[in-house]
Amino acid sequence: MRIQVFRWKAVGPLLGLLVILGLLLWIFAEPVAKDTTEEASTELLGTQVDLAKLDLFPRDAAVDLRGLQIANPFVLSRNLIEADEIRLKLNPNALAEKKIVIENLSLQGMRFGTEREKPARPVKGSGFAPQVYQSVEQWTKQFNVPLLSLTPIDTIRQLALNPEQLTTIREVQSVAGRTDSVRKALDEGFQQLDIRPTVDSARALADQLAKTDPKKLGVDGTRKAIESVQQTLKQVDAAKRRLEAFERNTRTGIGLLGQNLRSVDEARQKDFAFAKSLLKLPTFSAPEIGSAFFGQVSIDRFKQALYWAELAQKYMPPGLLPRPAPGPQRLRAAGETIEFPKEKEFPRFLLQQGQIDFTIGGSSAARGAYAATVAGLTSTPALYGKPAVISASRRASGSALASIDVDAILNHISSRTHDSANARLQGIKLPSFDVPGLPLRVDPGLGSSSLSFSMKNAGAQLSARWTIRSDKVSWVADTTARRPNDLERLVLRVVSGLANLDVVAELGGSVRSPKLSISSNLDKAVADRLKAVVGEEVARAERLVRAKVDSLVADKVEPVKRQVAAVQAQATQRVEAEKQRLDQVEKQLNVELKRLTAGVVPGIKLPKIKL
Amino acid sequence: MIALLKLIQSIIKTLHSAGTPGQVAAGMALGAALGLTPLVNLHNLVIFSFLVLLNVSFGGGMLGWMLFVPIGFLLDPLFDRIGLSLLTAPSLRPLWTDWTNTPILPYTNFNNTIVLGSFVAWLVLAVPIFFAARYGVAKYRATVGERVRQSRFYKAVTASQAYNIYKMFRP
Repeated sequence: MRIQVFRWKAVGPLLGLLVILGLLLWIFAEPVAKDTTEEASTELLGTQVDLAKLDLFPRDAAVDLRGLQIANPFVLSRNLIEADEIRLKLNPNALAEKKIVIENLSLQGMRFGTEREKPARPVKGSGFAPQVYQSVEQWTKQFNVPLLSLTPIDTIRQLALNPEQLTTIREVQSVAGRTDSVRKALDEGFQQLDIRPTVDSARALADQLAKTDPKKLGVDGTRKAIESVQQTLKQVDAAKRRLEAFERNTRTGIGLLGQNLRSVDEARQKDFAFAKSLLKLPTFSAPEIGSAFFGQVSIDRFKQALYWAELAQKYMPPGLLPRPAPGPQRLRAAGETIEFPKEKEFPRFLLQQGQIDFTIGGSSAARGAYAATVAGLTSTPALYGKPAVISASRRASGSALASIDVDAILNHISSRTHDSANARLQGIKLPSFDVPGLPLRVDPGLGSSSLSFSMKNAGAQLSARWTIRSDKVSWVADTTARRPNDLERLVLRVVSGLANLDVVAELGGSVRSPKLSISSNLDKAVADRLKAVVGEEVARAERLVRAKVDSLVADKVEPVKRQVAAVQAQATQRVEAEKQRLDQVEKQLNVELKRLTAGVVPGIKLPKIKL
Repeated sequence: MIALLKLIQSIIKTLHSAGTPGQVAAGMALGAALGLTPLVNLHNLVIFSFLVLLNVSFGGGMLGWMLFVPIGFLLDPLFDRIGLSLLTAPSLRPLWTDWTNTPILPYTNFNNTIVLGSFVAWLVLAVPIFFAARYGVAKYRATVGERVRQSRFYKAVTASQAYNIYKMFRP
């Protein structure tokens, strides 16, 4: 019987099923795409992304996004960007390859820093963006931002120091142990050198020859005597070389002991600082005041730039090697999805050109002509071959608010990546911030601010600069919570008299080891005033601290210093003594050798024997 | 519980269908692909179309699907390793590069370790599944099949409305 391979009657139901699937897709594609876009963007950016509506236009290969809100990951009550409508024109050929290539992006109603109706949810989980967020938060903790200490002098307590808290004591104990080890090592070294038998035998030979007349030895006896002298001289020479090597080692050991003593001195300096911190003396060093006033606010600015730069490093890697990424979330295990970039093909994501031009009219503060462009933002920069360029600007001639200029270049074409961003804001209302440690809020008012950020080679080189300049700064003292003390009132008086503010914060080094420096026009003014008022008192307190620390550590440090000096002296003396003994017997042997060789052929001077 | 009852119903119906043991086994081998690999992928649409269009037991396919879903979940770590080793093999890189850069083919998601690993595992297991199922069905029909057919339980199962729809696709 011939078996029929195809079930032709099932073609109809199958087509029906496909039509139903198509209908379901048509009905649910937009809500599913909206939810997926929100979910994926939130996961990707590490901050809540909301969409009011998503419309698909399959015939035009276009997508309309309405009511887009991207929350600021660092200030959850605000949006980073809000846009009324975004139209994306996609490349259909790329879509067939499951790639998103946005040929054109047009945007309407874009606003920055708007308040959210509901604060955004912090993004949790083990995704890349939350990890970056956490690592950036961790990064900020490595900066040792001093807290402005303005404890009144009359509250300085009697200094109560526990010797166990002092590093010097621990360091001294450790140095004493190490000194003892060095001394033992030196003793053992001298024993291993074993110079004495060589010296004794050489001296015995020299004494014996001194009593002998070479003329009576005969030719054979003289030859034997010369040979034994030469042999002994060789032994003496070997002993001298061993002694020289030992001397070098001894010098190293002695040098280490010297370093140990220096570490004791450093520990003492640390203990002075520690004891000083217990007194909570007022700060009047200008750099410390600058860091205390503006350190935290500067780090907050830099960390935001670093966050976006780190995300760019992840999502825009250089090169064309296969790239693994976590697979899609589903009931089954996600696994890994590996991307295989191919030359002359579309990258997985590319925003070719985004143009945003719009004007806000009327007399509102936000009026002006806005223009922004984004080009070459891609997941595979090596395929696109050009750096991604982002720029945004706003001009409002005749307005009190002058201009906003933002530009960024992300160059990830090769492994020598370079991300740079510059933002310049002029004549804008600068955000106010609290001064840590003081009941004081700074409102810079209208002014200018700039932030430049550059990161090379995936964070190996970092350079950033943040500035604020304002001529109409106001200082708001919040004295409702607590009454400021005399010193705080003094600082408040000093800063209240300043109408202008000029702050420059600079970041250098690398991501792993950043260096922060801050200077402002406030530093010197506050420092000078504080010094004039409390300088003498503070100096007296510092002297007290030194005396207290010295009294606790001196009786432990001095014996160790003496012990180290004794070991150093003993080692030097012993080496010198051994050297002298060897030199002495060598000289004696050479004299005898000369005498013996002169007797072989009297009147003929023999050439010197070089050993 | 309902899933278990459905499974029993499916097993009973399939084992007593008019299809030959070979047709039931072929259906199960195809249905195993739907169970072993993550469902929402292009290759499963092709497999499902084969199940419908080829003269194999559709019930066998559904049975294979149901039986191999839990096995698929259990073997995911193994599929991940198989998929990863295939996707990271230097000699296969040109193949995957072309595959993922050719229209339509990327929708198979074969660049995902679980999808590729499970699909390859199914390809390897399809033939043993077919022969094992054919032997099992033939043995069942020759031994206890007739007694089950006479039972009230079987009559209750086959009398259900769903069975009428199912009959439409029986081989």
